[in-house]
Amino acid sequence: MTRYELPAMVVEHRRRGANLYELILHAPPIAQGATPGQFVMLRPMRTHAPLWRRPYSILRANPDKGVFSILYSVQSAFTELLSLKPIGSTVQTLGPLGSYFQPVRSARRHILVAGGVGAPPLCFFAARLAPTLQSGEQILILEGARRADLLVGMDEFRALGAEVRVATDDGSKGYKGYVTSLLEMALNEPIESAVYACGPNRMLQAVAQLCTARGVPCQISLDAPMPCGTGVCLGCAVKVNTPDGGAWYKRACTEGPVFWAEEVVWE
Amino acid sequence: MTPDLSVALGRLRLRNPVMVAAGTFGYGLDYRDLVDLTQLGAIVTKSLTLAPRMGNPPPRVAETPAGMLNAIGLQNDGVEAFILETLPRLREYGTPIVASVAGETIEEYVQVAMKLSRAEGVAALELNLSCPNQARGGMEYGVHPELTAQVVAAVRQATDLPLIAKLSPNVGDITPIAQAAVQAGADILCLINTVLGVAVDARTRQFRLASKVGGLSGPAVKPIALYHLWRVRQSLPETPLIGVGGISSVDDALEFILLGAHAVQIGTANYVQPTLAQEVAQGLAAYLQENGIDSVTAIRGTVR
Repeated sequence: MTRYELPAMVVEHRRRGANLYELILHAPPIAQGATPGQFVMLRPMRTHAPLWRRPYSILRANPDKGVFSILYSVQSAFTELLSLKPIGSTVQTLGPLGSYFQPVRSARRHILVAGGVGAPPLCFFAARLAPTLQSGEQILILEGARRADLLVGMDEFRALGAEVRVATDDGSKGYKGYVTSLLEMALNEPIESAVYACGPNRMLQAVAQLCTARGVPCQISLDAPMPCGTGVCLGCAVKVNTPDGGAWYKRACTEGPVFWAEEVVWE
Repeated sequence: MTPDLSVALGRLRLRNPVMVAAGTFGYGLDYRDLVDLTQLGAIVTKSLTLAPRMGNPPPRVAETPAGMLNAIGLQNDGVEAFILETLPRLREYGTPIVASVAGETIEEYVQVAMKLSRAEGVAALELNLSCPNQARGGMEYGVHPELTAQVVAAVRQATDLPLIAKLSPNVGDITPIAQAAVQAGADILCLINTVLGVAVDARTRQFRLASKVGGLSGPAVKPIALYHLWRVRQSLPETPLIGVGGISSVDDALEFILLGAHAVQIGTANYVQPTLAQEVAQGLAAYLQENGIDSVTAIRGTVR
């Protein structure tokens, strides 16, 4: 998988919510190479603080136009710098990076479980998956957030014609409770499913346990502090089972961020 | 005329004085798609241990103001895997390869050094003296002059390669340790390794690293590195020195060279800008040219 380090041009900061923006970047090699689940490392300016680049999952990519986008909220010095980048300026960008969601072709129903800000890679995945569905295959989106206004990517999911079920912690929209409860209900329906999930790690742990207990193929995209994004620093360690019955640390940035659920060791 | 960037650290000769530091460039090949490896002064590998090491539980890293803490715990595939899988491909680039040697016991340092000495293509060994000493409750070897001397002397017996001792800054006075390392047979000193630190997450009310304590690196540590380098330069005027700590620009590298460093290493900055080392080498040449200076050695140690 080829990765590119280049200055990506800011095309637009598109407002998507109360404090939620879609940053559209022009970087043809990245737009063309990106696969759903992959991410980019962004560095808006050469600053000492913040020091690290930040990983952002790719929300969508248009290879013909050479653009891709990510979602951000302004909530830190880093995201403030990002938000201030003028149209036409550049953001140093490295990508596409990491592993990606792989459609489980034996499944009749692809369940995408999105928790809050974990939705972007699943939006991208759903968009690429929908046109490839065979007859009898379907996509079910389960999305959870603390409140209705924090739900991300609903427009994208609806535009695909996929069934969407929503859970909010406060009941301001859809089911009142966790998205993992929606998943449990969906897995009890008699249809062969595969699960793809991204969200807070505690949600992913619950998703992984629900799926492995039922033998449902499940891929999860894990978050970890990521200084380099390129595999050299070994900071973003994820504990995994090894074939010999032992354990080892893999890198969320390189072997991940998407892992098979049964591989991950939860501690 | 193109300025001469070549430097000699005793027997270790580099085409330019800009190296990449241990643990920040993988085993050497990881960045080959992003960086022109032939433009680097030298490549220092990730620290190698005798057996593969799993490393510490996460979280292992935390960003801090102008820096970061790490407690990777020496995760690596072991020295044999490096020799068999990486070294044959890495030496093709012709850039000097410095193998970073780590150990929990003096015997482990010696064993790793012997294996690397027998392998083809290693230009020098760098002793990571910030490893936790198993026999002393995890204290760094490099904070104690006698322990430092014991490790260096033992490895000196086991190898003919140029030997670099990478010193810990976590001491009151670094000069007795520097002197102990040189007397025990170190050809070159590299300073500094990371500075001990902790960070706490006020929201979760927990340490931000699972190991609690980590090593601070990045721009925040540069004045500390410059201070120790300057002290050792005064104490050991003849010993080749490598400066490392927080370098993220040509001017940063120049600070170390002006204080007496023969060479510098780019560390944490590799994480955010993998091409920095080659840019610093080019920038040094431009600086010398603009100032009408014909070699990098001409400015070394000129700030006293």
